[in-house]
Amino acid sequence: MKPSLTWLDDPQTFRVNELPAHSDHSCYASAQEAGGDRSSLVRVLNGQWRFLYADNPQDIPEGFYLPDASEKRFGLIEVPGHIELSGYAQVQYTNTAYPWEGSVFRRPAYTTPPDDPQAGSFGEAEDNPAGLYRHSFTLDSTWASRPLHIRFEGVERAFYLWCNGQFVGYAEDSFTPSVFDLSPYVHEGENLIAVAVFRHCTASWIEDQDFFRFFGIFRPVSLLSLPETHVDDLDVKPTLKDDDHTGVLNVSARLSPLQSGSKVTMELADREGNVLIQKTVEAREQTNYPTYTLKDPNLWSHSDPYLYRLTLTVVNAKGETVEVVPQAVGFRRIEIGADKVVRLNGERLRILGVNRHEWSATRGRAITQADMDADMATIRTNHINAVRTCHYPDRLPWYRMCDEAGIYVMAETNMESHGTWQKLGGDDGSYNVPGSFPQWRQMVVDRARTQYETLKNHPSILFWSLGNESYAGENIVAMNEYYKKADPTRPVHYEGVVHVRRYEDRISDFESRMYAWPADVAKYLENNPKKPFVLCEYMHSMGNSVGGLRDYMDLFDRYPQYVGGFVWDFKDQALQVTDTITGRKVMRYGGDFDDRPTQCQFSGDGLLFADGTEKPAMLEVNEEYGRYER
Amino acid sequence: MSDNIRVVIDEEMIGLHASGRDYLFDYRSGLVSLKAGDREWLYSAPQPAFWRATTDNDRGNGFSRASAQWAGADLFSAAGLPSLSVDGKPVAIPYTPADGSTGGQLYASQASLRYTFTTPTVPATKVDVCYTLDASGSLTVSVRYHGKPKLPELPAFGLRMVMPTPATGFTYFGLPGETYPDRLGSGKKRVVEVEGMPVTPYLVPQECGMHMDIDWVRVTRETTLNNADAAIAPFSLTFASNGRPFAFSCLPYTPMELENATHQEELPPARRAVLTIYGAVRGVGGIDSWGAPVGEQYSISGKKDIDFSFVVRP
Repeated sequence: MKPSLTWLDDPQTFRVNELPAHSDHSCYASAQEAGGDRSSLVRVLNGQWRFLYADNPQDIPEGFYLPDASEKRFGLIEVPGHIELSGYAQVQYTNTAYPWEGSVFRRPAYTTPPDDPQAGSFGEAEDNPAGLYRHSFTLDSTWASRPLHIRFEGVERAFYLWCNGQFVGYAEDSFTPSVFDLSPYVHEGENLIAVAVFRHCTASWIEDQDFFRFFGIFRPVSLLSLPETHVDDLDVKPTLKDDDHTGVLNVSARLSPLQSGSKVTMELADREGNVLIQKTVEAREQTNYPTYTLKDPNLWSHSDPYLYRLTLTVVNAKGETVEVVPQAVGFRRIEIGADKVVRLNGERLRILGVNRHEWSATRGRAITQADMDADMATIRTNHINAVRTCHYPDRLPWYRMCDEAGIYVMAETNMESHGTWQKLGGDDGSYNVPGSFPQWRQMVVDRARTQYETLKNHPSILFWSLGNESYAGENIVAMNEYYKKADPTRPVHYEGVVHVRRYEDRISDFESRMYAWPADVAKYLENNPKKPFVLCEYMHSMGNSVGGLRDYMDLFDRYPQYVGGFVWDFKDQALQVTDTITGRKVMRYGGDFDDRPTQCQFSGDGLLFADGTEKPAMLEVNEEYGRYER
Repeated sequence: MSDNIRVVIDEEMIGLHASGRDYLFDYRSGLVSLKAGDREWLYSAPQPAFWRATTDNDRGNGFSRASAQWAGADLFSAAGLPSLSVDGKPVAIPYTPADGSTGGQLYASQASLRYTFTTPTVPATKVDVCYTLDASGSLTVSVRYHGKPKLPELPAFGLRMVMPTPATGFTYFGLPGETYPDRLGSGKKRVVEVEGMPVTPYLVPQECGMHMDIDWVRVTRETTLNNADAAIAPFSLTFASNGRPFAFSCLPYTPMELENATHQEELPPARRAVLTIYGAVRGVGGIDSWGAPVGEQYSISGKKDIDFSFVVRP
C-alpha cells in the first residue's frame, strides 16, 4: 500500500494496518519473569532517535524513510518526548481557539458545501510541520524468527510508519496505543524504523483539549516478540450479583498466533496466594472458560481495593510454558438504581474527585513513572478517591496504579472539540464535529472502541466518558451505544448533552455539568431528577481559589442522587525554564513563548503547582474530602 | 505605675515613651517610628489597606474593575492633623502650655492620638486610626472605616505596616495554612511557625498569604537599617487581638508590587516586611474563574462601618 498525505484531510481514514485494539495485559515468557515484572518478550525502544524537523508536508525529503537515505541533516531527539520541548518547534498553549485561529481559514471536512471539500486542508498546509524520526534496532535469530509487534503508546497527532523502507501503517488517536505487525518487514541483524509525525490532521478538530499543544512520540515505544501461542486479548469480567454475596467470574481470551495442541491454564489466587480456581482448556482462537462463582468474595473498593490475581499460562504440545499473563481482578458492582442513586457494591458512591491532566513542568505530558508515583501519593494523602482522565486516556501504568490504590476512574475518550461550537455569541453547533456528519462517525466510535478494548479489565474504571465539550449529535450517540453494547457493566458519562437536550435520553447515564452553582445542583435534584447528578468539573483552582468547597460537600448530605464531583484540576500546567534575566528556574505559561493565540495562565488551575508542590487550597480539599472518605 | 508615659509635644512630632517603647507621631503622616529596645519597626507610617492584588478569580468576575476606586484609596489616602488626648483629656495641637512657649513634655498614665484618613473615592469616606498607649508600653490600635452608600465592595480592609528589613519568620496562633473566609482549611486554631515571608508562587502573582482567626502574631527580624547597629540576634514584636481575632498577612510586598508582576521572577528582591492586620477579608471564590462572584457572606460591603482593633504588645 502506498501512503498518502490525503489521509490527513479525511476523517474517514484514521487507522491503516493497525492491529485491532486489545487489552493492556503484560506478557511474560515464564512464571518467574511474571513474578519479577521483567519480560523477555518486550524490548523498550526509548532513547535517542535521529530526527529531522520539516516545516510542512512538502518540505519532507523524498524517501527519508529508506535505509540508505542521507541522515546528514538529522539531529537527535529523546523518545519519548515532545518535539517542542526538544527545541525543534515553538511551544504554544491555547484553549478553545485552534492554533491556526486568525491565520489560516479552515473548516472541518464535510461540514462545508460539496464544492469546498477542504482538500489539502492539512496535507498541503504551510502550518503543518512533520517530525521525521529514524531509529535502528537489532534482532537476534530468535526474535527475527518470531512474529514481532511494535507498540506506540502515544503519538500526537497523526503518524506514518515505515520499516526497512517499506510502508507499514498509519495511526491517529494520540492517546491510545497503536500496534503494528512488523513481522513481514524485519530480518535478523539491524533494522530501521522511520516515522513521520504530523502536528495536524482532521483529528486536530476533535483534539482541541485546553492544554499546551505538542506533537511527537511522547509515550514509550516497545517491541513485543510473540511466542508461538500468544494471548492477544484478555477479557476478564468479575462481577458481584445483586445478592451482594456472589461473585461471578467470566474469562475469555483471544489467541494469536496459535499453535495447535497448546493448552491454556487459568488460575485465580487470592491476596495470600491461595489458588481458588484452576482450569486448563485447549487453546483456541477464542478461548473461553466456564463461568465461576465465588461465595462472599473480597470486594474491590476505595476503602479496601482487594485484588485477586488471575494468571493465564500457555503451554505448548511439548508441555513447555510459552507465555504467562497475569491480570489483577477486582470484584465489584457499579449501578444506578431505580431511585437514581449510584451505588458501588450496594453502597452509595460518593465521588471525591479531581480532573487530572498528565503533566510535568519539565517534560510536559511525557511523564515518567516517578511523576505518576508522586501524583498518586498526593492523591492518597489528600483523601481524593476519584480521577477523571481529562480529556484523553492516560499512560497505561496509571490504571494499574488506580486498581491497586482503590482510586475510582472516570475513563474519558480522547475527544474535545469546543473550538467548533463555543462561540463569542454563545453555543453554535452548525459546523460542530463530530456532530452528526456521517463521515466523522467511525473515527469517534473507533476512539471509544480502542479505549474500551485497551482498558476493559481495570476494576478502577467505574465509568466510561465519551469525551469533553464536544456538543452532541448522532456521532456521540453512536459512541454511547458502542460502550453500552460492549460493556453493560459500567455507566456512561457525558456532559456536553446538557447543551443539546434533545439527545439526553440517548447520551449519558448522568446529568453532568461543569461549574454549576450549588443552588443549581440543588434545583435539579429537587425536581424529580431523571439521572444522578455529577459535576465532571467544579471548583476552578486557578491561582488563589477553591473558596466555598463546603457548599458543594453539603449537597452529599441533602441529596442521595448527588454523586459528587471532580475538582478542576489536579496540577497547574506550566513549563519550567531558566529565566535569562535572573538565571532562576521559573514557571512559564501561555504567551511566554511568543505563542499566539494563547489563553495565557488559564492552564494554571491545579491544586498543585506545576512542580508538584501543593497549593494552599489543597488543605481545604484534604479537610472536606477527608470528612466524606469511606 | 501612674504617670509613666512621657509625652513630648514638639514642632513636627509628638513622642510617646513608656517602658522601653518609643513612638514618634508625625503631624502629617502618622506613626513614623515604633522602637522597641532601640530597634526600629517601621519604615513608613501605617496606612489603611483597601486593596488586594487581583486574583485570577477577581479578574474573571470583574471584581477588581468594579472596585478599582479602592486601588486609588490604597495608594493615595491621606490623614489630616491628629488629635491628641492625654489621660482622657483633649490637648490642643499645637500645644501651648501656660508659660506661652510651644512644645513641652508631660507625664501621663495614658495618651492617645487619632488620625483621620480621607479616601480619594467618590464619594470620599473616612478612616479613623487611633493609637492609645498605656503605661505598660502597650499600644492599642483601633481602626474604623466609615461606610457610605454608593461605595463599591472592598477587596480588603486593614492597616498596613511596612518594616525596614525583612522578617526572618513569624509565629501566630490561629488557623494553619493560607486561609480566607470561604476557605478556612482545618478550622482548628493552633500555634503556627512560619519561616521567612513565603509568597505563594501562583503563576501570576496575586493576593496570597492570608491567615485567618488570629489571636496573636509575633514577627521576628534579624537586621536593621541602623548602620551603627551590628547586632544580628533575632528580635521580635507581637501584635495581639483586642477582643476579636483579626486576620493578617506578612509578605515582602505591597499589593501593588504583586499586582504589577506577571511572573514571580518579576517581583523585586525582598527587602521589607509588609505586615497587614485585617479587620475584614474578602473570600477568594472558586465556583469558576470567569464570572462567579464571591458569596455575599464572604464579601465586604462598602456601605457598612468596619471596626477592628489590635494591640502592639510590650
